[in-house]
Amino acid sequence: MLFKTLSKPEFRNLVDLLLGSTEVIAPKQIGVNNDGKPLHHYLPVQEFEEIDLEYEITEYSAKSYFLPFRENLSSCRFEDDDWTQEIHYRLQPRVLMGLHSCDINALLKLDKVLAGDRFPSPYFISRRRNTFIIGIDHYPCEGGFCQSVGADVVTHGFDLYLTDLGDRYFVAINSDHGYNVLMQVDAKDTTGQDNKDYLEARQRIASKFEPLNMHNLPNLMDIEFESEVWKRWGKKCLSCGSCTMVCPTCYCYGVDERVSMDGREGAKVKQLYSCNLLDFAAVAGGHNFRADRETRLKYRYYHQHRGFMETYEEPLCVGCNRCGRVCLAGINPPEIIRDLQTEDQV
Amino acid sequence: MTELLHPYDITQEADIMQPLDFNRRSRLKHVDRTFKSEIINIIRLTEMEKLFQVRILDDTARERFSFRPGQFVMVEVPGYGEIPISISSSPSHKGFIELCIRKAGLVTTILHKARRGAPIGIRGPFGTHFPIEKMRGCNILLIAGGLGLAPLRAPIFHVIENRSNFKDVHILYGTRQPSMLLFNYQYEEWDRIADIDLKVTVEHGDESWTGQVGMITDLLDEVDIAPKETYAIICGPPVMFKFVCNRLTKEGIQMNRMFVSLERRMHCGMGKCCRCNIGSTYTCLSGPVFDYWTVLNLKEAI
Amino acid sequence: MKYLGIEPEVLKIAVFDFTGCEGCELQLANKEETVADFLKVLDVVNFREISSVEGDDYDIALIEGAVTRGDEITRLIQIRKQARLLVALGSCACFGGVNRLKNVLDLNKVNREVYGKDPKETLPARAIKEIVPVDLEIPGCPINKDELERIVQHLIWDIPFQFPVYPVCFECKQRYTTCIFELGQLCLGPITRGGCNAPCPAGGLGCYGCRGPAADPNYSEFFTIARERGYKKKELDEHFNFFGGFEGVG
Repeated sequence: MLFKTLSKPEFRNLVDLLLGSTEVIAPKQIGVNNDGKPLHHYLPVQEFEEIDLEYEITEYSAKSYFLPFRENLSSCRFEDDDWTQEIHYRLQPRVLMGLHSCDINALLKLDKVLAGDRFPSPYFISRRRNTFIIGIDHYPCEGGFCQSVGADVVTHGFDLYLTDLGDRYFVAINSDHGYNVLMQVDAKDTTGQDNKDYLEARQRIASKFEPLNMHNLPNLMDIEFESEVWKRWGKKCLSCGSCTMVCPTCYCYGVDERVSMDGREGAKVKQLYSCNLLDFAAVAGGHNFRADRETRLKYRYYHQHRGFMETYEEPLCVGCNRCGRVCLAGINPPEIIRDLQTEDQV
Repeated sequence: MTELLHPYDITQEADIMQPLDFNRRSRLKHVDRTFKSEIINIIRLTEMEKLFQVRILDDTARERFSFRPGQFVMVEVPGYGEIPISISSSPSHKGFIELCIRKAGLVTTILHKARRGAPIGIRGPFGTHFPIEKMRGCNILLIAGGLGLAPLRAPIFHVIENRSNFKDVHILYGTRQPSMLLFNYQYEEWDRIADIDLKVTVEHGDESWTGQVGMITDLLDEVDIAPKETYAIICGPPVMFKFVCNRLTKEGIQMNRMFVSLERRMHCGMGKCCRCNIGSTYTCLSGPVFDYWTVLNLKEAI
Repeated sequence: MKYLGIEPEVLKIAVFDFTGCEGCELQLANKEETVADFLKVLDVVNFREISSVEGDDYDIALIEGAVTRGDEITRLIQIRKQARLLVALGSCACFGGVNRLKNVLDLNKVNREVYGKDPKETLPARAIKEIVPVDLEIPGCPINKDELERIVQHLIWDIPFQFPVYPVCFECKQRYTTCIFELGQLCLGPITRGGCNAPCPAGGLGCYGCRGPAADPNYSEFFTIARERGYKKKELDEHFNFFGGFEGVG
C-alpha cells in the first residue's frame, strides 16, 4: 500500500475537483431525532459544506448504492403477442466518500457472494466498478462491535482511505484510480512523523473498543439451535424487515414482474427482501418453511454467524449494530450473542 | 470539467460477449438474460398438472443447452414472474425440454392459460443432479410421491436409454387418488419395453380403481432390496422423505446412496436471493439434489 | 392486447358508492398518464366519476363506502345477486372507515349534532362484509392507484393477486424514511399492512392503519413498545379506531 498526506485545505480542493467532475455521495446530516441526536444519511451532495465527516454512524448503510432497494433486472417490450428483453447495467461513475471501515468491509463481504466465482452479478459488479470509494477512520460508535468481528480495520476495498491527524489526513492509496485522483492535488510524501502520528491515532481508536465475546460462535449457533434464547427474542420480533434493510451486508431479495397499463412494457424488478418477513420461505401451495417469528429471526443470525462462516471463514456481520439501533423491539446482536454465550453456562 | 473517473462498461468484457451458457457458472455475466422459447405443445395430465414442451428458439443456443437429470430451469412469463421448474424430459433429447407444471401460484396459473405457440423465457439449467453415472451396474429404486414423479422422469429416461448399464430398476409411485396419477400413459411402456418394475399405489381409491390402496412405504414390502448394490432416488413431499429414507436405512442402504430432491421457493436460481436457503445452504446451488446424509445435517430441511 | 396466445377479456365493472367521501372512486380516474389505458381494459357500465353511462350489465361490482342506512342494505344485497365478483374498495368498504367513529357515540345525539332539527335515518356504520360476502378487499384511505392497476391486471387474467404481507415499516425503510417513533410520535406502521409505499410517515405523520393489520401482526410487542415510550391507552385507541381496521384490538 502507498501512503501520502493531504493538508485539510488540499483535501477540500480534492473534494471540490470531484464535485466538479462527477456525482458525489457523502454523509450528510438530515436532522435530529427526538433526543436531539444528529441523524445522518449517505446522500448526493453538491457543496463541500454539506458533507459531515465527523458523523458517528449513518442510519442506513452504503449498501443501497450497490444493491438498491429496487432495481430493474430487465425490461420487456411487448408487441403482437411477442416480446423482446432488454437489459441495462449502470455505466455512470460516481464517488462514495466518508465510508467507515465497517461499510467497506461489508462491501468486501458482498463481493464474495455477488462478484465471486458462482454466477457473478453484472448489476452489482457494474455499480461496484463504477464507484470510487474514499473511506475514513473514526472512533467506535455506540453499541458497535466491529472490532470483535474484525471489521474495524480495512486493507482493501477502497480507493483512498483517510485518517484524521488534526491539521492533515494520512491517506492510504489502494488503487491506480485513487493514485491518479490524489495526484490532482498537492499530496505530500509521508514523513517519519506522519507515520508516528498515524500509528498513534490508530492506537487511540483501537483502545476505545469494548470487546464482545464471539468465541466459538458458529458451533454455539448449532448447539443452541433449539435454545430458549431464540424464543425469548423471537417473541419480540415485529417481522418488519427493518434490520435487514439498514444492514450493510444483508443481500436477500425477491423478484416481481410488472406490466405497464397499456400492456406494451414489462419489467422484472428486484426488491431487497428480508428473511424476517412472514412469507420469505413460503412456497406456492401455501407451505411456509419458516412460519414463526422465532425461526425467521434465528435464521438471520444463523446465516450471518454460522452459514457465511462455513463458506467464507468469516461472519457476514460487520458489527455496526445498525439493526440493533433501528429495531423498535430492541432486538440487537450484542445482547443476543451474550445470551447465547451464557445460556448453558453454569 | 475534467474527466477524473472513467465509466466501466461490463458489456465490453470478453466473457459477456460469449454465447449465453448457464453451465459456465463462474464466467457467465448476463445472468438475467433469458432464452426466448416457444411452448410447442401442451399435454393435459390431470386437473392440476400440464406438461409443457418448450423449445429454445435460437438454433445455436438450443444446440448448446444441456442439462443433467434432476436439474431445473427458471421459467419466466415476462411481465408476470419467474419460477423454478425441474426438467422432466430426457437429458439426451435435444429439440425441446418438457416441464410438468402444477397450477399453484400466479405464474403457474397464467402458464396454464397459455396456448400452444406462446413465447416464454427460460434460464438455466441450474442446480445439482442425480449422480446417475455412479449408479452404473447397480439396482435403482426410484420412489416418487405426487408431483415428485416430474423430476424423476429425467433419470427414468436416462435409465431407459441406457438400460444395460443398470441391473433391476423399480419405480414406486404413490398419489392421494387415482385422478392425480401423472404420466399414466407411459406406465405400460416403462414396464414392457424398458423392463422396469413399476408399482403404483393411491391413498384413496375410487370405483374404477383396481390397483393398490395404501402408503408408498407399503410398496417397499414387495421389493427385494440388495442394500450393497442399490441406489435410491426419492422425490415427493417432505413428510415422505423421512418415512421412505428411514425405511431404506433400515434395509441397509447407506445414506449417501439415497438421493432426494428438495423443493423451495427460488427467485434467482444462482445463490443470491437466499429464498431457497435451508439453514444457510442454497438449495439452488448445493441442491436441489442432496444425498440423505447431507439432508440430515441441514437444519430445518425436512 | 393478446398475450400467450390469448385475448384477455374486458372486465365489465360497475362502481357503486355507499357512505363515504368518494375519494377512492376518484382514485379510479386518477393518475393521468395511465388512466386512458386503465379504462380501456374495463367496460365501465355504471360510474358517475368517469362516464355517464348507467346500466345493470356488469360482472364486477366495486363498492365504495360503508353501510349506514337501511336502503343501502337492500341495494347491496341486490348488487351481490348480480355481481360475479364483489370488491370492497377502500377502508370504508373494508372496515367501516372513519364513519365507524360514530358507532361508540349515542346515534341520536350524533344525528342532532349534524342535521339539527332535520334528522336523517342512520344506523351504526358497517363494513360491506358485515352485510354480504365480499370476494376481494382493497383497503386504503384512499386506495393506492398503482396497486389497483395491478389488481385489475390480475383480474383481467383471472390470476391470484397477493397483497404484501409485510408491515408499513418495510416500505419506510426502502424509502429512507426516519422512523416516526424516533421523532417522538406514535405510528401503527409496525402492525399495519404495507403496499401503500408508506406516504404518511414519509410526510412526517405516523401511520393510522388505514390498510388494516399486516399478516400476523405482533400486537403484544407493539403494545410493549408503545407503553415503554409513554403512550397512553387513549392515544393508542385514537389510532386504532380511526379507520376501523383494528376492531377489537387495544
